[in-house]
Amino acid sequence: MNEHLKPVYLEEKLDEIRADGHQDYRSKAIPTWCPGCGYYSMTEGFTMALNRLGIEPENTVVVSGIGCASRFPFFVNTYGFHTLHGRTLPVATGIKQANDALTVVAVGGDGDAFAIGAGHIPHAARRNVDITYLVFDNGIYGLTKGQASPTSAVGFKTPTTPYDNCDQPLNPLMMLLSYRASWVGQAYAGRPHHLADMIAEAMAHRGFSYLHILSPCVTFDKTDMTYANLDVGVRDLPGDHDRTDLLAAMAQVEAKEAPALGVFFEEGRPTLGDAMIETIRRAGGQAA
Amino acid sequence: MPTPRHHVIIGSGSAGFGAATTLRARDPDCRISLVTLSSLPFYNRYDLPDIFRGRHDWRDLLPIMPAMYDELGITLRRNSRVVDVNGTAQSVEFAHRETLHYDSLLVCAGGRGYLPEILSDYRPLMHNFASFEAAMEVHTALPKGGTVIMLGGDMLGLDLAFTLLDTGYKVALVTTPQTFWPHRVDDQLRGKLVAALEAKGARVHGDSAPVAVEEGLPGAPARRVILQDGTEISGDVVMPFCGLVPAVEFMLSAGVDIERGLLVRPDLRTTGENIWAAGDVCQIWSDSDKEYRFYHGWRNVREMGELAARNMTGSDEEFVAEDDGRIWLDKGSNICSTFWEH
Amino acid sequence: MKKNANDTDIQIAICGSAGDGTIAAGDILKRAMSLQGYKVIAFDLYPAEIRGFGKCISRIRISSGQTYSLKPQSDALVSLNDPHAIPHVVEVRDYGAVIYEDTPMARIPEGGHISAHVRPAQIPYGLGIRHISEQATGSARSRNIVVLGYMAGLLGMTRDVFHQTIGEKFKTKAPAVAEQNLKAFDAGYDLATRVFRLDTIEIKPPRHTKSGADAVMMTGNGAVVRGFLDAGIDNYFGYPITPATSIMERLTVEMPKTGGRVLQTEDEISAIAATIGAGYTGARTATATSGPGLALMAEMVGLGVMAEVPSVIVVSQRGGPSTGLPTKTEQSDLNMAVFGGAGDAQRIVLAPTNVEGCYKCAGKAFEIAEKFQTPVIVLLDLYLSNRYETVIPPKRNPFLRKPEKKIAVRNGNGAYKRFAATADHVSPRSVPGEPGLMHTVTGLEHNEMGRPSDLPEVHLAMSHKRHKKLKGALNLRGLTLCKRFGDEGEVDVGILGWGSTFGEILEAMYAAQSEGIRCSAMKVVMLSPLPIEQIAAFHDDCGEVLVPELNYEGQFAGLVSGELGRPVTRLSQVTGAPMRVEEILNEVRRLSGKQSPARKTKQQDTGDERALEAGLS
Ligand SMILES: Cc1cc2nc3c(=O)[nH]c(=O)nc-3n(C[C@H](O)[C@H](O)[C@H](O)COP(=O)(O)OP(=O)(O)OC[C@H]3O[C@@H](n4cnc5c(N)ncnc54)[C@H](O)[C@@H]3O)c2cc1C
Ligand SMILES: Cc1ncc(C[n+]2csc(CCOP(=O)(O)OP(=O)(O)O)c2C)c(N)n1
Ligand SMILES: [Mg+2]
Repeated sequence: MNEHLKPVYLEEKLDEIRADGHQDYRSKAIPTWCPGCGYYSMTEGFTMALNRLGIEPENTVVVSGIGCASRFPFFVNTYGFHTLHGRTLPVATGIKQANDALTVVAVGGDGDAFAIGAGHIPHAARRNVDITYLVFDNGIYGLTKGQASPTSAVGFKTPTTPYDNCDQPLNPLMMLLSYRASWVGQAYAGRPHHLADMIAEAMAHRGFSYLHILSPCVTFDKTDMTYANLDVGVRDLPGDHDRTDLLAAMAQVEAKEAPALGVFFEEGRPTLGDAMIETIRRAGGQAA
Repeated sequence: MPTPRHHVIIGSGSAGFGAATTLRARDPDCRISLVTLSSLPFYNRYDLPDIFRGRHDWRDLLPIMPAMYDELGITLRRNSRVVDVNGTAQSVEFAHRETLHYDSLLVCAGGRGYLPEILSDYRPLMHNFASFEAAMEVHTALPKGGTVIMLGGDMLGLDLAFTLLDTGYKVALVTTPQTFWPHRVDDQLRGKLVAALEAKGARVHGDSAPVAVEEGLPGAPARRVILQDGTEISGDVVMPFCGLVPAVEFMLSAGVDIERGLLVRPDLRTTGENIWAAGDVCQIWSDSDKEYRFYHGWRNVREMGELAARNMTGSDEEFVAEDDGRIWLDKGSNICSTFWEH
Repeated sequence: MKKNANDTDIQIAICGSAGDGTIAAGDILKRAMSLQGYKVIAFDLYPAEIRGFGKCISRIRISSGQTYSLKPQSDALVSLNDPHAIPHVVEVRDYGAVIYEDTPMARIPEGGHISAHVRPAQIPYGLGIRHISEQATGSARSRNIVVLGYMAGLLGMTRDVFHQTIGEKFKTKAPAVAEQNLKAFDAGYDLATRVFRLDTIEIKPPRHTKSGADAVMMTGNGAVVRGFLDAGIDNYFGYPITPATSIMERLTVEMPKTGGRVLQTEDEISAIAATIGAGYTGARTATATSGPGLALMAEMVGLGVMAEVPSVIVVSQRGGPSTGLPTKTEQSDLNMAVFGGAGDAQRIVLAPTNVEGCYKCAGKAFEIAEKFQTPVIVLLDLYLSNRYETVIPPKRNPFLRKPEKKIAVRNGNGAYKRFAATADHVSPRSVPGEPGLMHTVTGLEHNEMGRPSDLPEVHLAMSHKRHKKLKGALNLRGLTLCKRFGDEGEVDVGILGWGSTFGEILEAMYAAQSEGIRCSAMKVVMLSPLPIEQIAAFHDDCGEVLVPELNYEGQFAGLVSGELGRPVTRLSQVTGAPMRVEEILNEVRRLSGKQSPARKTKQQDTGDERALEAGLS
């Protein structure tokens, strides 16, 4: 039977959800996001992923920058650090270096990641800091009320691009692949189950995992990255995609107009923590 | 503004120092470089025997305070050996590989103690008295009441000898033809002078020439001097005082005439253009004697320096010796010399 | 220093070109002297350029009594490169020694040899340095050691301790290297013993020979490193910048040996961000930078203040603004350290005045940061970072290795309030890994729970909390926050100082006392919050208060007079060099009415003009 046609009984559903346990990972704060915002899916997907992986909330730190997306830590029941605009990754790196046992998830918007914070991404990637970076891409500066972002399309009209956006958008996935992030994937807020799977997979990866999440801004973007456009725009990665093949991954992300969902690239290599332990060993020290 | 004339003076002894101050007095604008081998500014060398009377601080020997050089605008270049003078290029070349240009050059390099050939191998075992540092070394090497063996005994040495005898040391004097240099003394006078020396307490060995200097035997004083006749003299310090030879080796390619010293006209010009000489280094033409003569002695030297400076700044005077060098015995049989009169 | 008849107090300057081994020779000298129990203060200057022919100069003051700064005049100058050394000849005192190469390899232009520049009252000592090195070792590389040996011999220093030091210095190299250098040293030393000494440089036995073995030579940066290590630093993040880089370089060697972790970040923003991130986990973490880096860190410092996360930031100032004078010293980042950033972001700022202070402030900074849950800036400058002093390391580690007041336990079953109001305004803190105490910290204004809130009463209460809790730092134990020296009670002139300049201030104060001026000096180590009560009491006692510092406008003077509401006299200098004792002394004389005649006409100068004048001199 079609999933959508099955009747849902509230009591039953609530029981089911409570029993599932992922709601324990939600905080009591009410999200500040607009109704319909894609970011709700992220909260849901994230809590499901934590639950599935059995990670204790007290051993998890969610680090974010500034923006609508970056409000995320307040809505999950883990340790959280809402930092500065663009500085998510270095703070997360510091946390992870100081305490390898923690699960560290960095969260930010497209502006946070690819405008003000873009300089930090290659370094987190090359060091292979064992954290998961979730970027919520709405192609817009949501919190400051709808200005163009580095991922806004050419021709997009916003308060700071009244005569249309002329700047070519970045291709974040191509950047991450070229930085050789050790896990690169893409998900879409309109496919919450797939999103939850992807978050779980990204977090399970040992090393720097980058998940790009397409997420409509229902308030400020009525024309571009809308659910309507994305629902028809996105596609699945071909079944035979080889996620160990960097060039094949690049070929897949090159086609931006039809964003592919799935894991483009994955490789195992020593993390920053491994490097630290090796350095300590070479210096004759004892790792804590 | 025309660049001021640069006077370079090689030597900061009596002649050079006197010339420098005279040049400054006569030409407030000229540039003056005063070059010396010494580490110290000018001091009177004939004060050096005073070290044995307790004057150990070299600063007490300075006739002017060092700061005066700045005030006078005299650039003092110490520890600086001139190795060559190029009369054509008008430059002097230093051992430290710097070339210094001059408009006029005054050579006041003085003289160096003469050492008879036969003794030259023993230089390391001998002391000299040519500088404050050397004099202090003698002072250090000489134990209280110790003996100085003096070879020769020129007037510089005898000056020291009297101070030593006066201050409780012993002096053994081995006479040579240079004894009483720069005075020329006949045998008769010589005998009297030697007797006077002995009367003052010096032990004089006059019969045989020194041929070797050796380290002293264990337990004995530090040095031995062996004379031709086999006599051995034991003492703490051996010092040759055999007169001076002019320091001219760096002038050999300067294009000036040299005999033993630099040959100068009575106005102290050498035969090289813009080169003058004064002091112990030069031989001055004497019209009466029809030869180039040395005029030693402090007063002559001082006058030469000042005269050269005057002539370098436009004057045209001739040198007249103030002192022709006399030595005699006074009524109390003390040796007197114009050389010692300051 | 306070003079004593039997004291040694000499200063040697060694000057050469990059590659001549100037600093290495200076290193051996200072270590050898400190091993014998002398007090040593030294400051090296090296060029901004890495290669080529930049000037290196090492100035080393060796004394038997306590001294506080370099002397304006050295007793001896050693030249390994005449063009570089010639301008420094004037720094040698009358009858001091100038030691140099007298048979250089290449021809030199007229006036290019140092012998033409030795002042008439100074004593020239020329020797064939290169020749001696080649004879003794077969190469000219050991010129620096030859001349060191010569200098040591000339001044009658003990040979053995140099042998020991040279052996240690080259112990990581092939054995032949140490051997060659010992030969080079001896060749120079032996030559000097045959040279007659004309000068009056006196080396007398040190006062405390025993302490020599315990004493170590340390730079300010070295002391910061030691302090960090002794305090149990866990993590360090940094980005290279002169004059702070050597802190990171040394920590990178030392920390892994005890399991510590060092990361070179991609910029200063990342360095402080990671420091705060690590601090959030409870780890002892620090970063170090200079003015330009602190400017980049400003926003993060604000976050640390707001989110109440401990962090330690060492800032070694250099000439500014902008890239400024990277290899010159200045004290012009005080305002930025104390005030820099957005909003009312009070933080703790400590400015040590000497090398030992660097050790204490750096180590204590962790305790303070943890105790008050806030960033702590330790403010040095190039002069303090790079200058060497003899210090005797404490027998027992003076620092608490673990945080004093940990951390929250959940009260009953009420929700955990990360920013709960408390009597001392410091809230119980929890760190990741502790169950049931999860919370989110933020740079947004927030309530006791840590939830964002822009309600006026919340902002007021939280501003009050952040401000008040820091006042507790004024009652800190185990660290000198400010201290008065010199005459007690009422004085003609009081000198108020901070940071590296305080050494010169003390020297000037003792000199003024010996001239009969009633004088005292106060150093202020804690610049924020300011120990204003003690400063006010000091001000009460002083006829005039002079504030010498190395910046143009008198930033500390501004800070103090602003808080006091009373005037002080500024003495500002921005030459890139430490302040001269004489400069301070002249002002003290002027203010006391006992001015030296030459300065009389300048009495009417405004502060600004004086700053300009000093800056241009
Ligand atoms: C112990 C002693 C006692 C004396 N007592 C008397 C006395 O009582 N009465 C008296 O009249 N005279 C006395 N004299 C001699 C008198 O000092 C000299 O006649 C006089 O000093 C000569 O002066 P001068 O300027 O010609 O040369 P000097 O004084 O010999 O000076 C020579 C200068 O030239 C410099 N020089 C030499 N060669 C070079 C070079 N290559 N490059 C650079 N610089 C160079 C030297 O460094 C020095 O500065 C005494 C000398 C001595 C040593
Ligand atoms: C240093 C700094 N500059 C500017 C801002 C203002 N600012 C806050 S959020 C934001 C953009 C957020 O866009 P994005 O990262 O895409 O997040 P979104 O709100 O779209 O989720 C900006 C410019 C800031 N907080 N800090
Ligand atoms: Mg956005």
